[in-house]
Amino acid sequence: MIPIKYNLRSLMARKIGSLMTIFGTGMVVWASIFAFGLYGGLEKTFNTSVSPLDVLILRQGSTSETASAVTEAAAREIMTFPGIATDDQGNVLAAPELVVISYISKRDGSGNANITVRGVLPNSRLLRDNFKIVAGDDFRPGVREAIVSRALSDRFQGLRIGEEFIVQDKPFKVVGYFESGGGTSESEVWTDQRVLAQVANRTGATSSVQLRAVSKDAQQQLIDRITADEQVALKAVTEEQYYSDLAEQSFFIKMIGQIIAFFLTLGAMFAVANTMYGAIASRAREIGTLRALGFGRFSILAAFLLESLVLCVLGALLGCAGALLLGEIRTGTMGGSFTEVVFSFNFGPDVLFKGALLAVVMGLIGGFAPALRAVRMKVVDALREV
Amino acid sequence: MSDNHAESIVALLNVSKGFMRDKLEIPVLTNTTLHIPKGDFVAVMGPSGSGKSTLLNLCAGLDRPTTGKVIVNGQDLGELSEARLSKWRSENLGFIFQMYNLMPVLSAQENVELPLMLTPLSRAERRKHAEASLRIVGLSDRADHYPRQLSGGQEQRVAIARALANDPVLLLADEPTGNLDATSAQEVLDLLESLNEQFGVTIIMVTHDPKAARRAKRLLHLEKGSFVQADIEALETSLRGVAR
Ligand SMILES: Nc1ncnc2c1ncn2[C@@H]1O[C@H](COP(=O)(O)OP(=O)(O)OP(=O)(O)O)[C@@H](O)[C@H]1O
Ligand SMILES: [Mg+2]
Repeated sequence: MIPIKYNLRSLMARKIGSLMTIFGTGMVVWASIFAFGLYGGLEKTFNTSVSPLDVLILRQGSTSETASAVTEAAAREIMTFPGIATDDQGNVLAAPELVVISYISKRDGSGNANITVRGVLPNSRLLRDNFKIVAGDDFRPGVREAIVSRALSDRFQGLRIGEEFIVQDKPFKVVGYFESGGGTSESEVWTDQRVLAQVANRTGATSSVQLRAVSKDAQQQLIDRITADEQVALKAVTEEQYYSDLAEQSFFIKMIGQIIAFFLTLGAMFAVANTMYGAIASRAREIGTLRALGFGRFSILAAFLLESLVLCVLGALLGCAGALLLGEIRTGTMGGSFTEVVFSFNFGPDVLFKGALLAVVMGLIGGFAPALRAVRMKVVDALREV
Repeated sequence: MSDNHAESIVALLNVSKGFMRDKLEIPVLTNTTLHIPKGDFVAVMGPSGSGKSTLLNLCAGLDRPTTGKVIVNGQDLGELSEARLSKWRSENLGFIFQMYNLMPVLSAQENVELPLMLTPLSRAERRKHAEASLRIVGLSDRADHYPRQLSGGQEQRVAIARALANDPVLLLADEPTGNLDATSAQEVLDLLESLNEQFGVTIIMVTHDPKAARRAKRLLHLEKGSFVQADIEALETSLRGVAR
């Protein structure tokens, strides 16, 4: 076998070309890790904590709560409809909810993001199966207090217990953290609905009505009834539907990401191939000499594949290091409604592994044609090269 | 014809070789028979394009004849597959090129060890062999130098050390002094001569330089596709004639 140092040193002898290829593949791996990580995150967020009997009522034409309004009168009427579930104490499992967006700075100084501030009624909690206060207290009605998803508190300024954040120029005090089983409310701030409506000048209408039906049949009847009423101009969708619509929008983003990653990868393969073609062309005489010394075709193939593989693996290391350097395991991205949705941005070993695997594939495919050329070179011709 | 056959290290039997160019075959060697006995030191001369390098390539199995047989060290090269030929080359041949053809990224020592990578020798044994080879060519002190740090003559001596490393029965040298100044050329020729005399290595050396040819035991002239046994004395006379 041709000693590895021959290939490693040949790579070092072409410092610029090698470095550029390493950086190129590194960036592709980095971007791909992002695409893969985002993929995992989206799936996870939108697949948890959806209650199959829940219905979300929005204004007709809205795809998200932020762009929706349901009048108080309509909301009150809907809550009297038959088919809505109640709990043991006879509370109706339905609640109008008000969503206001607040622009809040990230703790690490990397900018601001739109955070969903949700004005809730006591019943709202009943609609989130796994809702619980995990630290501090619940907010008191009638005052500017709020509870914050634990996932958000560390990432944004003013969202830790005892701190204050601003909604429409008015400060709200954080008094507790909640969890709700990894659903989208994990990226929200909750406060008293009436207080929020006043502060945001949104009295008279809420953003949505959430409710839980007693059965699948009742759910369909409720949806039909609300949708049929043309006067109120509302639409009702199952919570599942709502999130799958959101996920579909996100899927689009994800697709674009993947397509870009795919073409980047393809481009990187050509870059690797180009580098290796150049290397092999300029080393024809060396290759001929190796053959004359008795190295077989397979040795030559292996040596040059190894060379392109080294380039790509170094690139992969660089890309993985870059991804990890991004530091946070949980990173925000735009949700369907341009509010911050916290994704479990997974730079886990599996995603890093995928990135590295991609690099290996890149190296093998990109390096194969050039290596094959080296192998197929006629020794006598190669030796005549200057 | 068969007597000296057995002792021949190289035997070309009715070998023809041509190259296709624009669908026309250009003959280089025509129906040539040649025997080179063990321990010989043959110089091959001839005009440019006469087929000297082609002859060496055929002897090394780097190229195959159009017709005829090439038998080296008792092995009919035509019977070997590509892969077996590679292995055979690594065990039987040493190659010396006009442009030295050292690997620029490997040190002298590493270059000499390169063909030993194909043997079952251990790392330590490879080292020892390479050191011995470098000692023979007088470059022990340059073991760690890279080709670019060596003079042309030194590079060629490293290349000779590389060719010697695997104890070849046959050394093929294609214009080994073609790129060297007179002094370096002398050193290289001294070396080849002593390898032939002391170690009994058979050498076929292609050269354009009559002074180099004179160092060989025998001179072959390649002209119009076949060999003529040339007379070194005559060559010398003609050289003196030129000098006058
Ligand atoms: N691989 C090849 N393909 C086509 N033609 C070739 C090939 N190798 C050699 N030839 C032709 O065969 C002839 C002999 O070539 P060769 O290299 O053996 O000559 P040479 O005697 O070594 O010449 P020089 O003294 O210039 O090195 C030339 O006409 C050359 O063009
Ligand atoms: Mg030649």
